[in-house]
Amino acid sequence: MSHAFDASEFLAGFLVEAEEHLSASTMNLLAVEASLRKGENNPRAVRELFRSLHTVKGLSAMVGIEPIVDIAHAMETVLRKADRAAGALSAKAVEALLAGLRAIGERVRALSTSAPVAPAPPQLLDALAALEITKDEAPITVELDLEPGLLAKLSDAEKAQLIQGAENGRRALRVDFVPSPARAAEGTTITSVRERIGAMAEIVKVVPLSIPASDAAPGGLAFALLVLTDATDEALAAAAATTPEEIQTLHARRVDEADPLGEPDSAEEGVGETEGRRRGIVRVDVARLDDALERLSALVITRFRLARAADALAAQGVNVGELCEIVKGYGRQVRDLRGSIMRARMVPVAELLDRVPLIVRGLSRTTQKPVRVVIDAGKAELDKAVAERIFPAIVHLIRNAVDHAIEPPAERQRLGKPEEGLVRVTCFERSTNQLELGISDDGRGIDREAVARRASRPTPADDAALLDLITLPGLTTLDQATKTSGRGLGMDIVKRAVLDLGGELGLRTTPGAGTTFTLLIPLTITIVDAFSFVCGEQTFVAPISAIEEVVEVAPEALVRGPSRHSQLGEVRFMERRGEIVPLVNLASVFSLASGEEPKALVVRRNGTPLAFGIQRVVGQQEVVIRPLEDPLVKVTGISGSTDLGDGRPTLVLDLVALCGALSQNRTEVAA
Amino acid sequence: MSELYVVFKLDDAEYVLQASDVLEMESFGGATRVPGTPPYVAGLIHIRGRVVPVVDLRLRFGLPRIEPTLDSRVIVVQSGERTVGLLVDSAREIMKIAPEGLQAPPSWMGGEGDGFVKSVAHVEGSSGEKRLVMLINCAKVIGQEGIYVDERN
Amino acid sequence: MVRVGGRVTEILVVDDSKVMREMIVACLRVAEDFTFTHAASGLEAIEKLALQAFDLVVLDLNMPDIGGFEVIEFIRGQDKLHHLPILVVTTRGDEGSRSRALGAGASQFMTKPFTPDAILANVQSMLRPDGAESP
Repeated sequence: MSHAFDASEFLAGFLVEAEEHLSASTMNLLAVEASLRKGENNPRAVRELFRSLHTVKGLSAMVGIEPIVDIAHAMETVLRKADRAAGALSAKAVEALLAGLRAIGERVRALSTSAPVAPAPPQLLDALAALEITKDEAPITVELDLEPGLLAKLSDAEKAQLIQGAENGRRALRVDFVPSPARAAEGTTITSVRERIGAMAEIVKVVPLSIPASDAAPGGLAFALLVLTDATDEALAAAAATTPEEIQTLHARRVDEADPLGEPDSAEEGVGETEGRRRGIVRVDVARLDDALERLSALVITRFRLARAADALAAQGVNVGELCEIVKGYGRQVRDLRGSIMRARMVPVAELLDRVPLIVRGLSRTTQKPVRVVIDAGKAELDKAVAERIFPAIVHLIRNAVDHAIEPPAERQRLGKPEEGLVRVTCFERSTNQLELGISDDGRGIDREAVARRASRPTPADDAALLDLITLPGLTTLDQATKTSGRGLGMDIVKRAVLDLGGELGLRTTPGAGTTFTLLIPLTITIVDAFSFVCGEQTFVAPISAIEEVVEVAPEALVRGPSRHSQLGEVRFMERRGEIVPLVNLASVFSLASGEEPKALVVRRNGTPLAFGIQRVVGQQEVVIRPLEDPLVKVTGISGSTDLGDGRPTLVLDLVALCGALSQNRTEVAA
Repeated sequence: MSELYVVFKLDDAEYVLQASDVLEMESFGGATRVPGTPPYVAGLIHIRGRVVPVVDLRLRFGLPRIEPTLDSRVIVVQSGERTVGLLVDSAREIMKIAPEGLQAPPSWMGGEGDGFVKSVAHVEGSSGEKRLVMLINCAKVIGQEGIYVDERN
Repeated sequence: MVRVGGRVTEILVVDDSKVMREMIVACLRVAEDFTFTHAASGLEAIEKLALQAFDLVVLDLNMPDIGGFEVIEFIRGQDKLHHLPILVVTTRGDEGSRSRALGAGASQFMTKPFTPDAILANVQSMLRPDGAESP
């Protein structure tokens, strides 16, 4: 070897692409299944599947993941046959391919956690190898009036697609695009044209054509885009940098007998699929966006420095009016830039939930319960980092729903419910910075008394108390952990996942009718408006969103209560607008040197207020939060660190979580 | 092939770390303490745009705490996925040790530092004096074992 | 080191997988006078080939839009590109596509996974068809 090739360097990129192909393949396979139920083939989805599996196989081979190569190869073989048989796949084949995707998914996930990758399961490979694919012949009796050179480039399926589209009332058109260096310099390339046309039309095929080189076509090249659309010629012409007159309508003509169209293309060529939606989308590793944010944080810090310097000048009596305006403008620009980066980090929630139907399917089969899943994610988007953290919790709630909540079909029949259970996942933006995810089922509901008995606790009075109880660490509501939900996350961890994101978990359950869990989660977590304050001689920051109010503490108005918990120091009570608010000394909570604490931050958790006494408030500013991932420094109530401009880390507090930890402590002591 | 090691001191004892595991060495200007962590977690520092937790090796090894001096160093090591700083009394030297020079640690090296020493080596100093250096087990020192919860199926 | 007429060698790397393109570039990067242009689809490749001069194309067969075979056909159908060396790099286990690719006009064919040495040696030999110099 003249130089080493380190495949591990590409592992992160591999994982990103593999996940994308897996998620696209799942959707395509489900589309095949849906077509199958209508008695139709879905050649387009089959080709996409083939292409994805082929790519996964090639990538896995490069990074040396043989088990995935083996599985992908077996699946690819089935799909190649199916592609040659016009997309014919049996229900049994769909089943086996789904199993294959699952097996690859498991291995990709193992890889992402640096766990050993299991070999390809021999039963799976055997099952895939045993599949028979048969072709059903459907002679074509309609032909398009296209020049023969172009026509020869179209597959049967593509022709059928154009003809059917035209028969269904859409316009089948040919739009030509002529690339040139001048156009490329303006950003008009086949890639951007394809993307623009793709937004207003269904692109069936793009064919490159050699044309005489001229001033207008210096490359001697044109692309013919064959599309189905409802858009106007003007709009299409603008998108392809051409004129409406150049757009050609395609007509279908009947032919007496099927033309001898020759053998279907081999799969390698046959996979030249036109798929418009993905084009123009740049895949970006989240790490790169994080890097951009990191750099942005330097700008945010510069802004504080500028503001501080301006204040210092003002204190010396200098007129800083104009300087302050500039600093303000700079602040706005930084905010806008931040907005753009944050938007780049957003992923559609619908995409996040792509895998849910597959998961429900698997569970439905294992539990022998027919279950229908309804997903309504609308157009909501979520920061990728948040999405990755919340997904396991969603999966766990879905598992619980299918496994525990939905009754077996016989029981449902007896109860007069539809035999098929229902799991619904909904999502909408509750505010500009908060998303509400709902996971509901129409199952048996949670039996408060039964839960209480199992936990040897008093029966909870309401759903909120019930939620507190079922999310206690280590509590399971079933006598035996079942196969599907016995492992992985418990309800306590679902709650932790939500709380760690600064979110809230809610529960609504009706015995006999069903249960809904709601997850309120922030759309982004990285940059927040925060108060900085000093407590126990150390500076901290806390997101403003978590703080209801900053109040002055009047020592003479405080009431001392009996202190049940010496660790917290003294718990005192103050009156605030008719409400009694407990006050704890934040420095004592953190075992820091405590002194005068004339101010307090009021935080509310589940409707109950708590005030944290602090020394003084320093200011309010935007901070970039870096999560603290290392186990050495994972502490409840401390959600990350930030840099206020002094070059040292400042801890970011999650006062709501701290509040929760304190009250839990107290309950335990009280119990 | 001899490998390179970074030598550091705690009290009078000399320890080594594989140079390939060491990302940075910085002087120590104090760390941000994190409430609720064990006493040996000195806190957080920024190093080249990263936030890194620092383990005070004196406390981790059961030695008395001292005030940091100008010689104090933070050795930033990469251990698996984790990046952690180790606060030591001083770190000035790089040495080569042949693999056969490394021996299993004597069994009496127990107590507070049990398992922290992976192997020991006798090496010759520049002026010919014999020195004993101890190769530390980074994963153990920063508590790698048993920290991660396996959530795979 | 490869020198073609004392100028930089322009290589077009065509693969829809970004990671794969990066891996190919990483393998070839050792030759200092290579510069790389990426194309993520067959269409993009054809457009770049029509508008820009390249010394060599590294081409995947399995791509969206139009596949590698069509790109080869296009290249071989152009007078000015007639002699452009094409290295087809595709996933192993498809002997049929080897003969088809070579038949359509590919200059060399190799399968993934490949080693850095193999792809580099292939590229170098294709850029030096007379074989005058040995590495």
